[in-house]
Amino acid sequence: MKISQLETTLGFKTVQGTYDDREMSCGYTSDLLSDVMANAREDCVLITIQAHKNAVAVATMAGIAAILVCNSRPIPDDMIEAARSEGIAVFITEKSQFIAGGEIYQALSRT
Amino acid sequence: MAWFRADLHLHSCLSPCGDLECSPSAIAATARERGLTMVALTDHNSALNCPAFSEACAHHGLSALFGMEATSREEVHLLCLFETVEQALEMGERLYEKLADVHNIPEKLGDQVYVDVEENILGEVEKHLIGAVDLSVDEIMALVLDRGGLFIPAHIDRTVNSMGSQLGFLPAGAYSAVEVTRSPCPIATYDYPRVCNSDAHFLPDIAARWFAFEADTPDFAGLQAALATGRLKLSIEQPTA
Repeated sequence: MKISQLETTLGFKTVQGTYDDREMSCGYTSDLLSDVMANAREDCVLITIQAHKNAVAVATMAGIAAILVCNSRPIPDDMIEAARSEGIAVFITEKSQFIAGGEIYQALSRT
Repeated sequence: MAWFRADLHLHSCLSPCGDLECSPSAIAATARERGLTMVALTDHNSALNCPAFSEACAHHGLSALFGMEATSREEVHLLCLFETVEQALEMGERLYEKLADVHNIPEKLGDQVYVDVEENILGEVEKHLIGAVDLSVDEIMALVLDRGGLFIPAHIDRTVNSMGSQLGFLPAGAYSAVEVTRSPCPIATYDYPRVCNSDAHFLPDIAARWFAFEADTPDFAGLQAALATGRLKLSIEQPTA
């Protein structure tokens, strides 16, 4: 499953679309960025409500491919700018981390 | 110039996790006994015990700052310190408006009472003060700095409710200082001035950690100048200071 399919297949809304559209390995759900740094796998999508520019920095360090912000949390401009300069995709959804994670898990299982 | 001992992170009976024994008067009396010169009252997201704290500190000859430990949307704890009670109360109102509307259950979560200097209960806060305020770290920082206050991310090295735990590392910001609890601090603090405080929720813990600052006078301006020039000593680094 490619990053862009988060929008085309699952309907999550792209808010930062400047990225290399590669295959995603899996998802990781967490709102503690210290935990994300320690445990997220490379090329995964981070499912979180942590809409802060540090999420982008942590994603860069961990090799995370995309960030999905849940519960329609407001995304500050500096987070989107940081993601654009790092080439990390950012999506938003009104769904919770549980529902979004479930949908992503099912979609990844099919591919 | 002289060195003054400060503990600027103290909780009273207004914090649901704080001991009911922690009245503003009892805190001031204990702080005086422990040799502190400057103290600050920093209950969770509220400054309602600051008027009594101001009176009690004046009575004990302590220099006092007023504010709160705010919880941002990211669930980071942030010390917001002001020179006057009025500034702290006004900031407290701004935070309370944005605090999650979850009502406190005193018997399960602890009491949230504010009192006068004689320990008479004046009222009880309705919303649970431990919740997060719907403002980001940066938004709270702007509110504090616009009001001439000091903005200090709290216990940045703790595994809960800290810059380190919530955000992974300390992002750049216009911090007056950062509060650490350990030496060496496992989180990079760059060139920000470092302070340490007790974060006491019980009287015996007051001044368990403290810092000293060098200034002409032990007041807000003196502290501000010492922070700006790094004239600071931390109890966790120099126990004999």
